[in-house]
Amino acid sequence: MLQAPASFAISGGITAEENDKLRSEYPMPSGDMLGDNCSACHGTKGAEFNEAMPPLAGMDKAKFIKLMKDYRANKFPSIVMHDVAHVFSDQEIEAMADFFAKQKPEEWTRPDWNASIKANTKENSHE
Amino acid sequence: MNKITRRDLIKLFGAGALSTGLMGASSLAFAKQSAHIVIVGGGVGGAASAKYMRLLNPDVRITIVEPEPKYIFCPGSNEVVAGFDTLETLTVDYNTLKSRYAVNVIQDRATEIDYANKKLKLAKGDVLSYDKLIVSPGPDFKYGAVEGYSKQLAEGDFPAAWHAGPQTLTLRDQINALPQGGTVLISSPVDPYRCPPAPYERASFVANKLKETNPTAKVIILDSKDDFIFHDVYLDYWKKEHGLGTADARIEWVPKKAGGHVTKLDTKNRTLTTADGQVHKGDVINIIPPEMAGSFVRMNGLAKGDWAPFNSQDFSTKRDKDVYIIGDSAAADPMPKTGYIASNQAKVVTKAIQAELTGKEIGTPFITNNCVAMAADDWGMTVAETFRYAGNHHAYEESYVMSDPTENPYYRHIRAEVAKNWQRTFRKDIFS
Repeated sequence: MLQAPASFAISGGITAEENDKLRSEYPMPSGDMLGDNCSACHGTKGAEFNEAMPPLAGMDKAKFIKLMKDYRANKFPSIVMHDVAHVFSDQEIEAMADFFAKQKPEEWTRPDWNASIKANTKENSHE
Repeated sequence: MNKITRRDLIKLFGAGALSTGLMGASSLAFAKQSAHIVIVGGGVGGAASAKYMRLLNPDVRITIVEPEPKYIFCPGSNEVVAGFDTLETLTVDYNTLKSRYAVNVIQDRATEIDYANKKLKLAKGDVLSYDKLIVSPGPDFKYGAVEGYSKQLAEGDFPAAWHAGPQTLTLRDQINALPQGGTVLISSPVDPYRCPPAPYERASFVANKLKETNPTAKVIILDSKDDFIFHDVYLDYWKKEHGLGTADARIEWVPKKAGGHVTKLDTKNRTLTTADGQVHKGDVINIIPPEMAGSFVRMNGLAKGDWAPFNSQDFSTKRDKDVYIIGDSAAADPMPKTGYIASNQAKVVTKAIQAELTGKEIGTPFITNNCVAMAADDWGMTVAETFRYAGNHHAYEESYVMSDPTENPYYRHIRAEVAKNWQRTFRKDIFS
């Protein structure tokens, strides 16, 4: 069913069937649990703007679902997202879509992070 | 500079808590207040715990105990060794956690858990009461695994450079000073250790630099393993860029089965001896020692063998349900020891604690590790791993897809861009 591009040939771990079986045995992880896993790349609550990884906060639910299902089905070449998306069920993708749709599409911090830290240091100096 | 004043504590915890003496307060004094979440270690796992706990609950009191005033990210430190980034870029402090997330940061070393009374003792004599204790101190090194090696040598002329910091700069300077045609020896440890692809990324970066400045020099990786993550990608890169397998190879990889496992260091002759008796001479010797759980974890009875076991649903320890273990010290196999994993373990723990505080069911955990590595500035690779809950007394089940060698330079280039982006975004996610 799933077809990885030729350049992503190395995969492993449990099979799709074993993945389905585990999903059926335990309650689904919450949308927050699933969505917070994305923050290392897409920023806290999906609200990071950078050149290689688009923000997810505030994304239209239907758009998120379509994108994730297209990634999962490997409908177009992608660098990482097929690899990430291929293990999620429809219900999990919908829960993530709900989670990101309700987040504010605001940049989480000021664009120059180092300047922001320095400014904070001055503002909050204790001594 | 980062000393917490009495005024700060009153601001954070209220005068009531201080009237009994905050540091030696009875748990009764705290019970009247909101729950106190204490975190041992201010690295990625600890800082992520503090921030994500605050995002879930504005009222709990959160304290991090961390000996260092600043934290230096390890992701990106190979770039510092190779000289195209600086430690300053990787260095953060705790001011944002303090000011934006109202986290109390105590600069001290946690020493002992009093499980019966739910107290944490600190090196300078203070005692903290906790309702929940999250332990994330990072790993310690087993220097003794290589005869003749020691912490003192690592801090001197034989840097391990496996915690970003002064040793990173020593190694960088040694490589800069390498005599023409000299040899760099890198000893790669047995699994598990922090950031599995990093020894090979380091070797690649160093070889790339030597290609420019010292083209007859060599890098030899003496490996205690026969395989490693991204093996095919790195070998492909080394063949294409550094003549791997030829007489003039700039880089060599000696797996365990070919005698790569280092057992002995001779500082006087600057040699490494391997398990089958081969002797390698190096102008620069970089031994990455094997690892074990941090001493705090081992000394407080949380480890079984080298690592600390936990209940899979919420990372509470097998020793005590109100004490949690995350990050590199946790026996989390098949999860690799990465910052990405530590940060997502923190999110599982904080969600579980929040569920308990609000009388809700602890949900099903879920963990991903979408990690990146580079061979060169325009040669990146990625691995996407997911870890599914498989019952409280079982390990998580892994599923992964990772980069294969590709002839497509655009894929390699974009993966490297993804790697660089990830480093920046990840640092922001944890510390701002």
